[in-house]
Amino acid sequence: MAEADPTWVERLVEPARVHKDVYTSQAVFDLEMENIFGQAWVYVGHESQVKNHGDCWTTQIGKEPVVMTRDGKGDIHVLYNRCPHKGAKLAAEGCSNHKPMFRCPYHAWTFRMDGSLVSVPHKHGYDDTGFDVDDPNFSMKPVERVESYRGFVFCSLSESGPDLKTFLGGAVTSMDNFIDRSPDSEIEVAGGVHRVMQRSNWKIFFENLNDTGHPIATHESSFLAARKTSKHKLGGEVPFQLHIIEGNGEPPEFWESLDLRAFDYGHSFMTAIFHAPKGPVSEEYKAALDKAKGKEEADKIVAMNRHNTIIYPSCSPHTGFHQLRVIRPISIDRTMVEIFTFKLKGTSDEYWQRTISYSNIVNSPSSTVMVDDVEVYERCQEGMNSDGMEWISQHRGEGRDNVMDREIQSEGISEMPIRNQFRAWSHYMMATPASIPGSIGGES
Amino acid sequence: MLAPTNLDKPIVDTDLQREIEHFLSYEAHLLDTHQLETWDALFTEDGMYWIPLEFGQEDPLNTVSIAYEDAILRDVRIRRLAERHAWSQQPKTHSTHQVTNAIVTAYDAGAGTLTVQSRFHVVEWRKRNFMRQVAGGYVHDLVKIADRWRITLKRVNLVNCDGVHDNFELFV
Repeated sequence: MAEADPTWVERLVEPARVHKDVYTSQAVFDLEMENIFGQAWVYVGHESQVKNHGDCWTTQIGKEPVVMTRDGKGDIHVLYNRCPHKGAKLAAEGCSNHKPMFRCPYHAWTFRMDGSLVSVPHKHGYDDTGFDVDDPNFSMKPVERVESYRGFVFCSLSESGPDLKTFLGGAVTSMDNFIDRSPDSEIEVAGGVHRVMQRSNWKIFFENLNDTGHPIATHESSFLAARKTSKHKLGGEVPFQLHIIEGNGEPPEFWESLDLRAFDYGHSFMTAIFHAPKGPVSEEYKAALDKAKGKEEADKIVAMNRHNTIIYPSCSPHTGFHQLRVIRPISIDRTMVEIFTFKLKGTSDEYWQRTISYSNIVNSPSSTVMVDDVEVYERCQEGMNSDGMEWISQHRGEGRDNVMDREIQSEGISEMPIRNQFRAWSHYMMATPASIPGSIGGES
Repeated sequence: MLAPTNLDKPIVDTDLQREIEHFLSYEAHLLDTHQLETWDALFTEDGMYWIPLEFGQEDPLNTVSIAYEDAILRDVRIRRLAERHAWSQQPKTHSTHQVTNAIVTAYDAGAGTLTVQSRFHVVEWRKRNFMRQVAGGYVHDLVKIADRWRITLKRVNLVNCDGVHDNFELFV
């Protein structure tokens, strides 16, 4: 579609279909970086990744390299990871510690953990030049807004917009449940990070996270293989490691019976596919949770059993297996997904090892499940480049959504979560930073 | 005092060195010729196939791995590759392994156990112009059972284990 036409973005999204340009146009991608990743609350990291003074964690918010830091008072900051002098990144990639201050590897300017400039060498060289140590233009720049929700740190590159809690809306219940599942109500990132590159647009992955129509088709090879292994090697027994592979082969009625819920700003979740295995590890865990929270509360916590929750446009928690996937668009057809596993304080080693095992089997680059997802995303990306057909269908369940106050509910196989994402997408894409509405995507 | 194994000279005789090198070449041959069930039979019943995620990773249970597969999970991978609707195997991946620099680093003749470290370079081909290279070091823990070497642990140390990866469809 011609980008010269001022309504071009508006015309890309219809209620039950979107134009392929949303996945394949460089102009769309550039505007997404500015209007979506430049405005929305984007996940940065968890507070446990910067436990001590000087700890740093780097990541990318849209096009912007940022660093999350912890200062000497215990406060957390998110700064653009660039020296105000020549632009060199001050924190190296990943985890590092810079206590007591950043020192630029190029000309040795130094900065506190909140980004403020401490000093520069050759001070006399700056006499009468307009350079001023106290001028924020010579300090590392903080991102416009930072908020933590119970340890999950998000930032927004826009000075205005809703606060984080408002933004999260009904999806906040998944964040709460993630933490409440710890007997001590405390979680920490641990156990390493899987990183996977997808050769497809970032939105394709988000759409798949609550796409209940794909598992039977896409994951046929792995769930059939797991069932054959069970039959021929284990006499029909289905241990945990096979359950999380073969569960994708549930019959159509199962997927239809799931509950889908969506919220403003593109968020949603679906109810669970997999269930925690029975046995002593689970029993010991539940006993610890009962003891810490009381049985009634503990029952409620474990009964809230969800599969993927979508926090659009940056992350997806899986509350039951204690992992958070972080989604980073690299280019139109490259998306990096990082999988963080969380240890729940007050649980056993064996319980934690189940989290590790789930991540290895389902989310690692060697996963026999995910390989077919990644293949299908790539085929979509390639097919969408064709000019043979211009529109992408999202008709499944259209017109049958139950729209409530700031919440949409639909039948299990509906593409409602995808339509919900595009409602938010359209609002972001058509808003200028100054006119971003307080509520996005809810007023359908 | 010297370390228990001073490796500037071989700690096994030439015949055993050749036997072990043959074993590594044979294992690679089975992978490259898609004889995966025969390959899997090289493992002991509780043998493990491991691709650590971190350099020097000691612990496969409390830290995630690129792969940590027992007989059950290897069986799923092998069966999946044979499935008609293994979408990511249309077309199939082909591989060629080179295994070099084999050094036996531990040998206990009485217990029949042996550890061999080597270097590998794997080229994978699937479609278009995407020729993939995977390289690193192997550590094989072997045990002799009924006069045959069997694998108790195959550890694959990728040179880029902490990188951002495309899919690993086959065994490395």
